[in-house]
Amino acid sequence: MSEVLMIDSVLLLLVAATAIAVVEVRSLYAAAMLSGIYSLLMALVWVNMHSMDVAFTEAAVGGGISTILLIGTLVHTEREEKKRKTRVNWGALLVTAMTGAALIYGTLDMPRFGDPNAPIHNLRVPEMVNQTVGMTAGAKGKQPPPVGWTPRQNLELPLGHKQAYAMQRAHATNEARLKEAGEGHGGHGGQKADGHGAEHEAGHDDAHAHPAGDFNGHVPNTVTSLLAAYRGYDTMFETAVIFTAGASLILLLRRRRRPGENLPKQQSANLTDQVILRVMCKLFIPFILIFGLYVISHGEIGPGGGFQGGVILATAFILYGLIFGRPELHRVLPERLTDILAVLGVLLYSGVGVFTMLRGGKFLDYAFLNPASPGDGEPLGMTLVEWGVGITVCTVMITIFNQLAEEESK
Amino acid sequence: MSDVLEIYNYWIYIVLMMVGFYGVMAKRNLIKQAIALGLFQTGIFLFYISMAVVDGGTAPIWMADGATKVPNPLAVPAAFDNPLPHVLMLTAIVVGVSILAVALAIIINIRRAFGTIEYDELTKIEREMEAREAREAAQ
Repeated sequence: MSEVLMIDSVLLLLVAATAIAVVEVRSLYAAAMLSGIYSLLMALVWVNMHSMDVAFTEAAVGGGISTILLIGTLVHTEREEKKRKTRVNWGALLVTAMTGAALIYGTLDMPRFGDPNAPIHNLRVPEMVNQTVGMTAGAKGKQPPPVGWTPRQNLELPLGHKQAYAMQRAHATNEARLKEAGEGHGGHGGQKADGHGAEHEAGHDDAHAHPAGDFNGHVPNTVTSLLAAYRGYDTMFETAVIFTAGASLILLLRRRRRPGENLPKQQSANLTDQVILRVMCKLFIPFILIFGLYVISHGEIGPGGGFQGGVILATAFILYGLIFGRPELHRVLPERLTDILAVLGVLLYSGVGVFTMLRGGKFLDYAFLNPASPGDGEPLGMTLVEWGVGITVCTVMITIFNQLAEEESK
Repeated sequence: MSDVLEIYNYWIYIVLMMVGFYGVMAKRNLIKQAIALGLFQTGIFLFYISMAVVDGGTAPIWMADGATKVPNPLAVPAAFDNPLPHVLMLTAIVVGVSILAVALAIIINIRRAFGTIEYDELTKIEREMEAREAREAAQ
C-alpha cells in the first residue's frame, strides 16, 4: 500500500464525515463553518494527490471566500433551518441509495487507483505534454523534450484506430528526435503538433541564448501550460463565466445610488474597535498581497497561476473590508475601479489572442508574440494571460463580497 | 483489503456526491441546498483528481536538477501525475464559487421579497398568491 493511499484513506473518511455533518447540522452558521473545514480537508487531499494548483485554489476559495459569502448571506437571512417533524426524508434517501448503488456497481469496472496503464495516462497525454513542455539546459530557443524521453504507452489496450494512430505518431516523433540527438544535431527539432515548427526555428539568434538551468522558452509547470496553451480557449471562457457571475451579482443586488449618495457610514457589525483584529489584519495584509502577486506571476514556473493568485489577492481586500468596514474598503478600492478592472482582465486575455492573430498566427498562438524569439513567446503569453485571469478573478471576488455585504435598503 | 483500497477513492467520491444529492433533494432550506450542491461538485473534483494519480508519481512540475543533468520525468516508471484533470478541476472550483455566489444573491432577493428561505413555505406563499389572483380575476 502506497503512502498516498495510506494518508488518503484516513483523510477521505474525515471528509465524508464532515460532508454528512454539513448536510445534517441544523444551524446554518455551523453548516457554513463546517463547509470551510470540509474545504480545508479537501485541500489536504489534493496536496496528497500531488495536485498543488487545485489545493491552492480550494484552500483560498473553499476555506476563505465561500465561507465568508455564506456568513454574509446568513446576516441577511436566517441563522437556523426551520424545525421539522421528520428529520429523515425517506424518499430522498431511497433515491440516493439506489443512485449510489448503481454508481458503485460502475466503479467495479474502473481501472484501479494509480494504475499507470489506465487509458487516461496513455491516450493523448504523451502528445499533449510533449507539445508544451520540455527543457534542455544551455540550449537556445524552444527545445524538444529531453533525450531519453519515452512516451508512456500500452499498445495492448483495446484502442480505437484514432487513438492508436495518435500514439504511434507521438512515439515516431520521439524516436526521430532521439536519433537526431544521437547524431549530435540536438536542439532544433521542436515541433508543435499543429505544425508551427517552422516558425519556432526561424529567427533564433545568439543574443537569445539562455543561461544553463534556465527553462528556456518552456513552461515547467505542466498544469499552467495546459491551462493557458492546450486549453487556452476553455480557460478564456471560464474567465468570462466568472466575469458573468460578477456582473449578475451586480444586477441582482447592487442598489442604484443617487449621484451624491455614499455608502452608509455605519456597519451592522463594527469590528474596528477590536484592537487585536485591527493590528493583526494590518500585519497580515502585506504578506497576503505579496504572496498573491507571487503566485500569479510564478504560475508557469511553480504551482500557481491566475485563478489561485487572484483569489489570494481578493482575500486580502476582503479581510480589510471585514475588519475596517465596507466604506473603508470602498475608499481603498472603489467599486467603479473593480468593475473596470474585471472587464480589463477579460480584455487582456482575449487581447493577447487578437494580438497573435494580427501578427499572423492563430488565436492565442503565443509563438507569434515575439518574432525575434518564438520560443520565448509561450512563457510571455502565459504570464500575460495569467495576469488577465488573475485580475478578473480577484476583482470579481471582491465585487461578489461587496454585493453580498451590501446593507439592506430600509 | 487491498482490492477495496484500489477503488476506495471512487467509493468516497460516490459518498460525497450522494450526500450532496440527498441534501439538494431532502433539505427545504435554500442555503442548505446551495451548500449541498457544492458538496456534489467536490465529489466530482475528487473523481477527476483520483483518476490523475499514477503509482510513484509526483506533482507535474519539471524541476531543473543541476545545471547539466537533464531530468527525465516521463521515463518509465511514470514520475508524473496526469496534469489534465488538475487543469479541469482548477477552473471548475472558481466557477463553483461563482455559482454559489449567484445562488446566494438570488436567495437574498427571495428573502427580501417573501421573508422566508424555506422551500415549503415559499410554495405555500406561491399557492396563496395564485388563489388570490384567481379570486381577483373572478370578481
